[in-house]
Amino acid sequence: MRRTITRGIAVIGAAALLALGTACSNEREGSGSTGKDTSDAKGGFAQDGLVGVALPAKTSENWVLAGDLFTNGLKDAGFKADVQYAGASTTVADQQAQISSMVTKGAKVIVIGATDAAQLSTQVAQAKQAGATVIAYDRLITNTKDVDYYIAFDNFKVGQLQGQALLDGMKAKKAKGPYTIELFSGSPDDNNSKVFFDGAMEVLKPAIDKGDIVVGSGQTDIKQTATQGWKAENAQSRMDSLLNSTYTGKKTLDGVLSPNDTLARAIITSVKGAGKPVPVVTGQDSEVESVKSIMAGEQYSTINKDTRKLVAETIKMVQSLQKGDKPTINDTKSYNNGSKVVPSYLLPPVIVTKENAAEAYANDPKLSPLTK
Amino acid sequence: MSRISDLQKNLFGGTASNARQFGMIATLVAIVLLFQIWTGGLTLTSGNLIAVVSQYSYILILAIGMLMVIVAGHIDLSVGSVAAFTGIVVAKTMQEHSLPWPLGILLGLLVGAAIGAWQGFWVAYVGVPAFIVTLAGMLLFRGGNQYIGNADTVPVPTGFRDIGAGFLPEVGPDTGYNNLTLLLGLLACAGVVWREWRARQTRRVMHADAAPLWVTGIRLAVMVGIIVFTTLRFAGGRVGTSFPISGIILIALVLAYSYYTRNTIGGRHIYAVGGNSRAAELSGVKLRRVNFLVMMNMSVLAALAGMIFVARSAASGPQDGLSWELDAIAAVFIGGAAVSGGLGTISGSIVGGLVMALLNNGLQLEGVGSDMVQIIKGLVLLLAVAFDVYSKSQGRFSIIGTLMRPFRQNETSTPVDPPNPASDQDKAPVAG
Repeated sequence: MRRTITRGIAVIGAAALLALGTACSNEREGSGSTGKDTSDAKGGFAQDGLVGVALPAKTSENWVLAGDLFTNGLKDAGFKADVQYAGASTTVADQQAQISSMVTKGAKVIVIGATDAAQLSTQVAQAKQAGATVIAYDRLITNTKDVDYYIAFDNFKVGQLQGQALLDGMKAKKAKGPYTIELFSGSPDDNNSKVFFDGAMEVLKPAIDKGDIVVGSGQTDIKQTATQGWKAENAQSRMDSLLNSTYTGKKTLDGVLSPNDTLARAIITSVKGAGKPVPVVTGQDSEVESVKSIMAGEQYSTINKDTRKLVAETIKMVQSLQKGDKPTINDTKSYNNGSKVVPSYLLPPVIVTKENAAEAYANDPKLSPLTK
Repeated sequence: MSRISDLQKNLFGGTASNARQFGMIATLVAIVLLFQIWTGGLTLTSGNLIAVVSQYSYILILAIGMLMVIVAGHIDLSVGSVAAFTGIVVAKTMQEHSLPWPLGILLGLLVGAAIGAWQGFWVAYVGVPAFIVTLAGMLLFRGGNQYIGNADTVPVPTGFRDIGAGFLPEVGPDTGYNNLTLLLGLLACAGVVWREWRARQTRRVMHADAAPLWVTGIRLAVMVGIIVFTTLRFAGGRVGTSFPISGIILIALVLAYSYYTRNTIGGRHIYAVGGNSRAAELSGVKLRRVNFLVMMNMSVLAALAGMIFVARSAASGPQDGLSWELDAIAAVFIGGAAVSGGLGTISGSIVGGLVMALLNNGLQLEGVGSDMVQIIKGLVLLLAVAFDVYSKSQGRFSIIGTLMRPFRQNETSTPVDPPNPASDQDKAPVAG
């Protein structure tokens, strides 16, 4: 009796195994058929194909705005959109997992605003092998051959404009030099930080060499000026220490090169806290608080990199990929990511001060009322 | 005895059954099925399973070490920082001194051991609570990471990347699957059958009631079925992919540490120390040595986890390891470990970690934002532990407890029994 039962079980078990085995659809495909859906193919992809957008943590207004624009813009263009932000504390790991998920879901194009530009090569390779086109948005992904396109504002130009604005602002306040300034740069894990800084230094360096401009603390190396994680608190504490070490007594600070608005406001807060007059401070991103600050005469300048334009151009790029066309590119030599020169589309940035604010933000529903 | 009651007695939590293992697999399957339906079949695709294993293997490796730390009555907050510190040291050394990558891995493990010895020294021999020592370590090694790396991202050589992003090679005839993964699956099946057979033999030698053969048959069929299913999934991914190498490292560690904590004197001493350290000491357990080794082991595993993450990311960055300690601790507690120490199993923690991993993955596949994912994970952690605590306090069936119950009848060779949780209240503070 027992033996028959055992045998019965064994048969059922074996049958179950077979069923399971055959039920497994095999995803293997020959190497010949991979890349069927890539951008090289003529056909593009389905009009309602999935487009993944992986953005960094919501640390600035810009990323939040970009996410909303992508969600709506892609939907209006007829695509399925999957827009994801990295978490605030585990940014890199989150973004890696999100990109993998998009690949699993069969995204045709993946737009990536990288949290750490050098730590995504495995995921990007995965996307490429699955036949997706990878677009680096705003931040170039480095050390990988698997990035297809790069779309951003011309960041070297941003740096140059910031440097020029700093010079102009200080001249407007005080006709004659020498001027004392301090330098701040962005997060060292963001590829753009160096580009901004180099652009600004190209303008400032001749003046520093001539002695028209003095960097009060002597900290001119990008490692000394870096602001880890683009965090306001880090910029503020560095400014606090600079004020305490260098600007005691009568020594005045005429200008501060700040790579973006969040840091600019932190720097201004620090200077005000120390009871010093507010110097000429540059910025970037046109954040609401900074535009208010510019109109109130505190922060001197910001950069208008209209996120609307950048997202719109990116969606245009996705649309031409969908049709199977080659997207528009206007730079094929500047952006080497360590493995290859990534074909890029660069948009021109605009410098904004109190004088031209009303004109620059005329089309921006959120900012234009602030400039009236 | 009717067959139904035979089945009830022996298959689910009966005296003779391997209830814990079986129950845990069932729990996991339930979660997988939930997401499988919700995501419209994406969860169980080969690509996704492979991605999940390589994404979360480093957290699960941390959970192994963390379980032992927590069972011993301590906590380790420094694992993320230790991982990040090791990562940057290894990446920098390989880049600047062109150290071959196998030596790089060795160097990483040595760095981990050195850090572990440092933390173990303070905990075991000076008597500073582990919470404080590792809080200090968290700051120390995070700072160390930024000091050495200049808060820069440092790429690692291609060979090194294999431990985090590598796959088994394609060898042998074209079967439509990755042959080495199939071989691994076959080994796993053989292992399961062998274990069941050994358990029956032990019971026969002990003259204990063996489960009826047909119950064993069902159990084996289910377990082998699951192994075959997952093997085919992992082997059937895109050409060039297989069961990830980081997953193989993880499984080797799980098997080794499960054996150590369950079947060896040293392993049982950890439970004895966590249950009641004074009693353990009076029974001849070398308290300091156990504490030292547990803390040191954790840092070595953290170093390994850090290297695997760096390998997968192809670079060591300043944000590596942020809040990993919390993920590892959450996995251990969801897996049924007691906050007061003395209770918990490696396999439980792995299941806890997998629950978190699949939750994360499933929600991401659904396109749920990371803000909501964090909220949901937080609630799951709280509810999972609260439910278990409540059930226990009501004297009712404790789900996690049942799942994690060591099958004592089988463990005749166990030298020190895990202490009763009731003794936790009067437990003296360990090493403090």
